[in-house]
Amino acid sequence: MGQKAKRKKRQAKKSGWKLFRIVITGGLVFAAGLVLYCWSLSSQIEKRFSGRRWSIPSKVFSDITVLYPGQTINRELFLSKLYRLGYRKVSHKPKQKGEFCASGSGMALFLHDFEVPSQKQEGFPVQINFSQNFITVIERLNTGEPVPVLELEPEEIMSFFSPEREKRQLVSIKHVPRHLIDAIIAVEDNRFYLHHGFDPEGILRALYTNLRHLALRQGGSTITQQLAKNYFLTPERTLSRKLKELLISIDIEIMYTKNEILEIYLNEIYLGQKGSVSINGVGEASNFYFSKPVSELSLAESALIAGLIRAPNYYSPYGDKKRCQERRNLVLRTMYKQGWISDQELQTASAKPVTVSGFMVYANKAPYFIDYLADQLKAFYPPETLSSLGLSLYTTLDTQVQAAAEKALANGLSRLERSYLRLRRSEPEKRLQGSLIVMQPNTGYILAMVGGRNYNQSQFNRITQSRRQPGSAFKPFVFLGALDSFTPASFLSNAPKSYVVDGKIWEPQNYEPDLEERVTIRKALAKSLNLATVDLAMQVGLDRIVSTAKTFQFSTPVKPYPSLALGACETIPLELARAYCVFAAEGVLPHPLSLKEVVDEKGQVLERRHMTIKRVTSPAKAFIMSSMLRSVVTEGTARSLLDRGVTFPMAGKTGTTNDYKDAWFVGYTPDILALVWVGFDNGDSIHLTGAQAALPIWAELMNAIPEYISGQWFKAPPGVVKRIVCSESGQIAVPDVCPETREEFFLAENAPKDYCSVHPPMNILERIMKEMQDVIN
Amino acid sequence: MIIELVIIGCATSSVPAPPSPPPLPPPSAPSMPDTAVIPEPDERPGPRAVASLQMTEQGRELLERNKVDDAIRVLERAVSLNPGNGQNYYYLAEAWLLKRNIKQAEEFNDLAGTYLEGDQTWMVKVEEQRKRIQKSSLAPQ
Repeated sequence: MGQKAKRKKRQAKKSGWKLFRIVITGGLVFAAGLVLYCWSLSSQIEKRFSGRRWSIPSKVFSDITVLYPGQTINRELFLSKLYRLGYRKVSHKPKQKGEFCASGSGMALFLHDFEVPSQKQEGFPVQINFSQNFITVIERLNTGEPVPVLELEPEEIMSFFSPEREKRQLVSIKHVPRHLIDAIIAVEDNRFYLHHGFDPEGILRALYTNLRHLALRQGGSTITQQLAKNYFLTPERTLSRKLKELLISIDIEIMYTKNEILEIYLNEIYLGQKGSVSINGVGEASNFYFSKPVSELSLAESALIAGLIRAPNYYSPYGDKKRCQERRNLVLRTMYKQGWISDQELQTASAKPVTVSGFMVYANKAPYFIDYLADQLKAFYPPETLSSLGLSLYTTLDTQVQAAAEKALANGLSRLERSYLRLRRSEPEKRLQGSLIVMQPNTGYILAMVGGRNYNQSQFNRITQSRRQPGSAFKPFVFLGALDSFTPASFLSNAPKSYVVDGKIWEPQNYEPDLEERVTIRKALAKSLNLATVDLAMQVGLDRIVSTAKTFQFSTPVKPYPSLALGACETIPLELARAYCVFAAEGVLPHPLSLKEVVDEKGQVLERRHMTIKRVTSPAKAFIMSSMLRSVVTEGTARSLLDRGVTFPMAGKTGTTNDYKDAWFVGYTPDILALVWVGFDNGDSIHLTGAQAALPIWAELMNAIPEYISGQWFKAPPGVVKRIVCSESGQIAVPDVCPETREEFFLAENAPKDYCSVHPPMNILERIMKEMQDVIN
Repeated sequence: MIIELVIIGCATSSVPAPPSPPPLPPPSAPSMPDTAVIPEPDERPGPRAVASLQMTEQGRELLERNKVDDAIRVLERAVSLNPGNGQNYYYLAEAWLLKRNIKQAEEFNDLAGTYLEGDQTWMVKVEEQRKRIQKSSLAPQ
């Protein structure tokens, strides 16, 4: 070989080595870069998975519903409640939790399990029989054993969502039934336990299946890749994103066990839509589609959920049930082919119809109440906390009462606008407004709150935020202040009178002319006579009235002017309702309670609130006030209640302000109290009294919630005595002499002691003359 | 009878002086019993009262097991069902005493006394409870 050729060979060998070195170096640099990149990805993965993995919205729950034999019930509201609780109607005897079967005279119901901080109850089947609107019997369906008190679980009212608006119930893989895991693995990634993040064999098989059927039957992504995509990546389909997905998947497989990966996946996957809220995770999907915990899912139900993963809204059972069933059965067949289920199981599950529990789209339930609640919580639980920590907030709200209150207010305001043209306004923000609050007077529980006509138009809460003049609704506090020196039988002047206030003459008027110049205290309150009330206030002393108002913890200023007696001061409706609770609760002022417990996602109670009370007046005075306020209903300004079906014993007070700007009615029994306000936000006159505008709304509400009406009345406590008095003198009636008498209650310490001085006892001749006259007449 | 007396009296030759008015009973004696109750048609315990009693019993059992907060919650429900049942307030007072909230214990004890007035057995318990509350209020915190 010549020297030239040798030289050429040496050069070629050198170039080859050089190229080889470049390739190796390049490869090593690339590998190093890849390792560094994977390392940075792994730290991102660890950061994401080690901290809080999801924002779980906090949920607000209503109070438990109590049922008992003998209870009057609004069956329509009760049935609505069952549907909202996720109970589903079946045509057979209920076999599973959450089913019910209704007949004319009764209902068989298989209760859900429920757990609240103070109790845990496992669901069991019951029979509830009705006679018209009474519950006659509640007994265990299987044994016939009577159930004296039945409790239904609290109802979820709303959730505090984060901006992502995802709904999720976290589940541990230990509680996920095996057939659900098998179903998901069978249809999404049947080599899940064999691969290391990505599955080339799976990709090729999916490609072959899809080409063979000319349809997208299988995806090539593993469960790990799906997780990587959902958790870390945006959904665009680019090569770089796909490569990143691959690397993240490999990292995840290195860092976590198969079960850990699966658990995260089961809690992450998107499985449907409820209005604007997405359903994520099998825990929430189980509740959304079947109203049951994931651990109770059957094989067919599990296959249905597994089938949704590919396209939840396309295969949703709330959409096309036939398509959903076909998809479910495909999943079942796939499970069978892969050996997860037997032929028998396949046949049985495939034959089952698709039945779901139904759902209600998130509507704004009790929005004013929720705002009030959130306002109380914000110091300790700001919005970011509420939307991410998955707290459970148990409240005092009764959803049936809330529904009845909203309906009564809406109907009442519409009725007023239809009947009185002058009340109509074209601009929505200027329309006639109203508000309503319902409380249990002894506990202070807020059962319902409606802060306005339409929350979407105005979130201003007219129960907790507005300050309006109570008008005559303030008078009971004037009369209460007088009870040490006056009695219901004491007389007041109802004659026109002038008063000098700050150098100006003030001449109060009655709403309606009343010719009696002298009236009893009971009558003055029953008929809401302004002249007599001011006379009383001036005799008692305005400072005394201010002092009485302070004991009721009104936060708004109360000034000692004569017009105070007529309610010319501002009050917050919630505080007014709370103050009236004193009369219904034996003289005790309750703290208004809306929140009962705050529980974290592990079930630990973070906070409890109980009823708190403070005595502000004696039981005897409270009873006397209730007795007088009962006269408002039987003989006074609220007597139209009787025509509206309110025939049970109750007490109340109408309220009308100057120029008819505010109309009020506050009414109560020993069991329940409700306050209604009607007016315009801008202070325009409604030209209607409390009896005309607010009272009918109160009546409609009470007629809709018979379960709260026991028909009981207050028992006179120690310190109250009853006397028969002369209507003319107010003193003890002389038997057979005083022409007109009545029974009256008194505080024992200031009950009348003397006989009537207007009608003294007759001598024998006078009695003879009287008897002869009676015979002639 | 008065008319007969008149006729007899007229038959006599002299008209006797009219007798003085018959004495009235002392006005301090009540004309009606002091235990004033508005006569309502049915005084038997209604269904709400019966249901409330069930819960009172549950509350009592929870207190015995020292589950104080759970007991309070159940007793509050019992109060909602039947505010007139004094036993609920008695047990609520017990619960608040266990929680060392003397003020609330006093308030509920006071209410128990109001509602259980007339029931000798329970009034003894209420009085004994009042003494325990007073003793607790004096004990160092």
